Order: sequence, then C-alpha cells, then structure tokens
Amino acid sequence: MAIRIQSGKNNILTNSSNSTVQSVPFKIDADCDAPVRKYFQPFVQKTENNVLTASFRGYPLKGTKIQLPEGYQGMVLHESLKPDFEKLQDRHFFVVNKFEELTFWNWDKIPSKNDVFLKALDWIDIAEALHRPGTEQ
Amino acid sequence: MTENKIEEVETRREIHDLSSLESFLLHNDNFKNVSYISDVPEVCKEYPCILGIDEAGRGPVLGPMVYGTAFIPINEQTLLTTLQCADSKALNEEKRDDIFENICKHSKKMGWAVEVIAPNSICNSMLSRSKYSLNQVSMDSAIGLIKMALANSVKVEHVYVDTVGKPEKYQEYLKSLFPQLHITVAKKADSTYPVVSAASICAKVTRDHALKVWQFHEGIKVKEFGSGYPGDPVTKKFLTDHCDPVFGFPQLVRFSWSTASNALEGNAYHVEWEKVEDEKSGSTQKIPITSFFDKINKTSLEPEKKRHHFFTDRCLSRNVKF
Repeated sequence: MAIRIQSGKNNILTNSSNSTVQSVPFKIDADCDAPVRKYFQPFVQKTENNVLTASFRGYPLKGTKIQLPEGYQGMVLHESLKPDFEKLQDRHFFVVNKFEELTFWNWDKIPSKNDVFLKALDWIDIAEALHRPGTEQ
Repeated sequence: MTENKIEEVETRREIHDLSSLESFLLHNDNFKNVSYISDVPEVCKEYPCILGIDEAGRGPVLGPMVYGTAFIPINEQTLLTTLQCADSKALNEEKRDDIFENICKHSKKMGWAVEVIAPNSICNSMLSRSKYSLNQVSMDSAIGLIKMALANSVKVEHVYVDTVGKPEKYQEYLKSLFPQLHITVAKKADSTYPVVSAASICAKVTRDHALKVWQFHEGIKVKEFGSGYPGDPVTKKFLTDHCDPVFGFPQLVRFSWSTASNALEGNAYHVEWEKVEDEKSGSTQKIPITSFFDKINKTSLEPEKKRHHFFTDRCLSRNVKF
C-alpha cells in the first residue's frame, strides 16, 4: 500500500496565498467545511501580552501563532476517495494549499512549553542533530 | 476578575438620551464588555449620596446582562419619586424609556452608570476551567460599579443592592470590601428603594436597546429573536433557524444556558472537550488474581520496548500511515 501525494496542476507550492490553519483543543464529529471566517475570525482578539483570544461555542480559547520550523512546509491535503482500509489500496492525496504558520489554541490556558504540541516541535531540531551525516571522525 | 476587566472607552461618547445610548452601544463591539458612567454632578461630589444597584437580563438565553447603578444626594432623593422610579418590571418599555430620558435630563442632580456584560463574556466565564459562576460575575460587576462611582468622586454614603443569592452573605462580602460605606442588600430591592428602581431602569433600558441595535458579526440576517426566555416561541424558532452545525449559534446566544446546549444537541455536531482533571478518577487498574494462572502467551513474554519519555511526553510516535 503506497501513499501518493500529488501536487495540483497549478503548482500550489509557488502560490503566494497561504491557508490559515487553526489547531483547536477539542474533537468534533464532523468532516465538512466550516464558516470560520464568519463565526470565528471576527472574534479573534489580541491581549496586551500578545495572547490571542477567541471563543468556540462559548468556551474561551487562548492561542498563539506558531511559525513552522525553517526548511519545513505545511501542506493542506485532500483525499477525494474515502480510504478502504481492508483492501490495502494505494491512497491518493492532492495538495490543495500550503501554510507557513498556524494558530495553536488551548481551552482557557495560555499556550506554553507545557503543551505537548509545542514541545513536539523540539524533535525537529534533535532529529536534525541526530541524523545529520557525521563530518568528524 | 482580571480576565473580565471593565474596558475603558477610548473616545468618550456622551449618553444624554435614547439615541445617543444606541449610538454608544453600536460603537462598541458587542462581544466585549463595556461600561459607561454619566457625568457626575457637583452636588453628588459635595453631599452624601445614596447609590442603588440592580441588574437586567440575568435569566434569558440571549443578549448581554446589564448591571446598572444610579446615585443622588440624600437630600435630593424625592426627585426619584417625582420621576416615577418604581420597579422596572412593573413598567412597560415605553414608560421605562421615558423615565430613562428624564434621568438623563436631570444630570445636574443625579448620575448613573452601567456595565454591559457581553453574552460571550458570560459564557467564557461559566465555561472557563475554573468555573466562574454567574453569581460571581454579578457580584464583581456590582463591585466594579461601586468602585467606578467612588473613582469618579461620588460621595457615596449608602449603597442599596438587589441581591443575588443569600442577601446576608452578599451584604457581608460587600461590607468587607467597602468598610467605609453603609450597605443594604435586599431581595426585591428594586421595588422597595426608588434609587434601586432608577438603577434597574438604566440597566433594563440599556439591555433593551443593546438588543435593538444588535449587529451580528457573523453576517447572518435575522428577522427577530424574541425575548430570550426559553418559553418564547420566537426565541425557540431563532435557535433552530440559526444554528450552524459546526459553530452553533451566533455570539448573541449564551451557550452556557441549558436551553442553548439542548438546542445544540439536536442541530449541531457533537464536540468533545478535554476533561478537567479530576483527582478522584485516578483509577488504579485492578488485575484479577486468576490472570496469574492463565496460559502464558509466548509473545507476551518478550518485553515490549518502551519508548524514551522524551517521545511519550510529547505524544510522539512512529507513524507510517495517515
């Protein structure tokens, strides 16, 4: 079973417009478009200490913008066919857009180094150090 | 209280009648709290005053809750009866609007202030990690109004407050915060003390007009939303007609009300939040004693290689599948 990621015809990676990506602290039983621009974006505020605030269904959210590590590119993928895990078929993803930053949201807690999501990014530097081809012998 | 600080208005917009009240409300984002205090007449700085506090819109599922205060020198208080300040619930909307404009007209003798607590801000408090109850929101607003009057040099002598919860406890709490003031907290204070009625009218009129000029930042078109009381069929219809399956309701609605959360259950996708850590639920896994006599499965003998805590701490795992 292979996973194929195809970049669209209009080579999105050279596109200048990025997707606005929000990482939210809850699970929603849905897979659909959501009117983020109408119901979420207008209410995003910045406090004096640069913390972002917003709400989802009345719950207070606190967030921060995260730049992706250098050399990395965020991609928004789309899979048009629902995968059938029993048949072990190849899966096809299409790149629909890219992003360079995302907003990480917590429920009523200022994002910090205690958040696993933010901590996980440490691995990128460590992996780099571990897997860099040795130069000294 | 730090989270819900009363926000200062950058450019002062005077309120001297209903239309300037409406333009004040329109000018401020309706998803944030805002407060306003009228000019303080000289007599209120010079002579000891009574100050009344009451709220409007505590119960409904829609719109802001407004806390209001009115203050007047003790020796001028008969003006309140002349203005027909009585229980605001016993007056109709038109009458309340009239009295409010009269209060504004007597700005040389009395003053007033309101805090508009946005529906979104109420939900945010009630749905915060460390549950900030509606009663606490209410008390903090009342305290904020007393402080605002004092900061604006009102010579407060006696404070009358319509109670939330038990009056004795609330009165004691206020006394501990303002030992220099006489404080009376009572049930139905708005029908007993004219100064509380005046406060109640300021609050109620502000709430009514806030709803009248309500701007939906969600960009939705709404014909009517009713009183906000759960029994109101117009409100019920509004809640079913304007429910986005992902986001739920526009921010006019108090999500933390059971009417709203019940309406969401049927019309929107289910959402799961992180559970607030509960110390009791630290379940110690019990292994039945018979398990020691089970046939030993060979593969289970090989100890599973544990990942370093660097990875488990970060929820990192190897993954080759999407």
